Amino acid sequence: MKFQDYYQTLGVAREASADEIKQAYRKLARKNHPDLNKEAGAEARFKEIGEAYEVLKDPEKRAAYDAVGSRYGQGAGAGEQDFQPPPGWDAGFEFRGRGDGEGFGAQDYSDFFEALFGRGARGGVGGAGPRRGAANLRGEDHHAKVLIELEDAYTGARRSLTLRMPAFDDQGRGVLQERTLDITIPKGIRQGQHLRLSGQGGPGLGSGPAGDLFLEVEFATHPHYRVDGRDVYVDLPLAPWEAALGAAVGVPTPDGEVELTIPAQSAAGRKLRLKGKGIPAKGAGEAAGDLYVVLAIALPPASSDAARRAYEALKAAAGPEFNPRGALPGGRA
Amino acid sequence: MSTSTRVTAIDMVDVVDETMEFTLVDLCRAAHAPEEQVRVWVVEGVLSPRGASPEEWRFAGGALRRARLARTLGQELEINAPGIALALELMDEIEALKASLRRSGAR
Repeated sequence: MKFQDYYQTLGVAREASADEIKQAYRKLARKNHPDLNKEAGAEARFKEIGEAYEVLKDPEKRAAYDAVGSRYGQGAGAGEQDFQPPPGWDAGFEFRGRGDGEGFGAQDYSDFFEALFGRGARGGVGGAGPRRGAANLRGEDHHAKVLIELEDAYTGARRSLTLRMPAFDDQGRGVLQERTLDITIPKGIRQGQHLRLSGQGGPGLGSGPAGDLFLEVEFATHPHYRVDGRDVYVDLPLAPWEAALGAAVGVPTPDGEVELTIPAQSAAGRKLRLKGKGIPAKGAGEAAGDLYVVLAIALPPASSDAARRAYEALKAAAGPEFNPRGALPGGRA
Repeated sequence: MSTSTRVTAIDMVDVVDETMEFTLVDLCRAAHAPEEQVRVWVVEGVLSPRGASPEEWRFAGGALRRARLARTLGQELEINAPGIALALELMDEIEALKASLRRSGAR
């Protein structure tokens, strides 16, 4: 297990005041919040920051952490050592830092944190534990994410999803329950939409019904297609003569290849719309999306005498009237 | 903690889209947000249900994503309701700009 330097994570000195720690946390949390920062690694960083703040904002946890840190930090190469909390390190502390709701699930903490402060020191995932004073309660709604390919939205798909959540067994002991759900994802689903799985959330109490499970659908980044709502975009490179003279070209779509007629005199950037070839409709009364084919022009290299002669001939044929920079101020051919 | 596993096959899922509506109670449960909080978000324009009174409020499917976002911003960054409204507006704008970039070829 690696020792976590929470002060370093927040970029504050060991003697930083509570206000300084709070300020540093706020700033870093805003910068790395996964809802605001879509860069890879932001979410992991956000969790580290949250964990560091969880410890350093609580005077008791901070004191305990400092006590461990000062013992651990002695001696050369301390940072490389495998960290184990010393026996009895937590005597005299009573941890109270319990938050509510989800936020950080127990599994989000590092092994280091769990070794010191225990699992679920800030409430488990979705708070599935029993609540006192209410006999029959509907179970909580739970949330998770599911990653699918764009093609899955065209055809529908089946996905197996394994969720781990804290639950209580017959003896009332806390267990980590693993559930594998084999889910049918309907066609026509769009990026960011939620799926609701009735009764698959937290168990109800007494005769209360189970909660629902909501799955947020995310599309994996596709190497060729771009998605905008229900519309899909694909770039189609053309040879200059195909764009100039027109051509029939095979275009890949998530639904299979289609043959597309390129009109003569097509310029780069021209968008051709294939109506209804975007993400399909989910049901009656909903329109399917469109597929936009964005034309690009690929120039053959002038690497042979024949190719160079062909470019020279094109230059002569176009004549001085052809001015690609005509629209620019002072643009000269 | 010990670990147990069970497998469930699920063929019936609902898509939470604009044809689906949440009542105030549904939304609070699904987004894990207290009712007073959701009321404040409506006042601040974070959410725009149809219906005149809280009992009649009906939230479109997209409100779930927004309410969850509002809750995490409030909880994890300690932003107040007007701040959340502003952040969501700016995030909508960024999303619209990104969509227009995607349409014109950026990934």
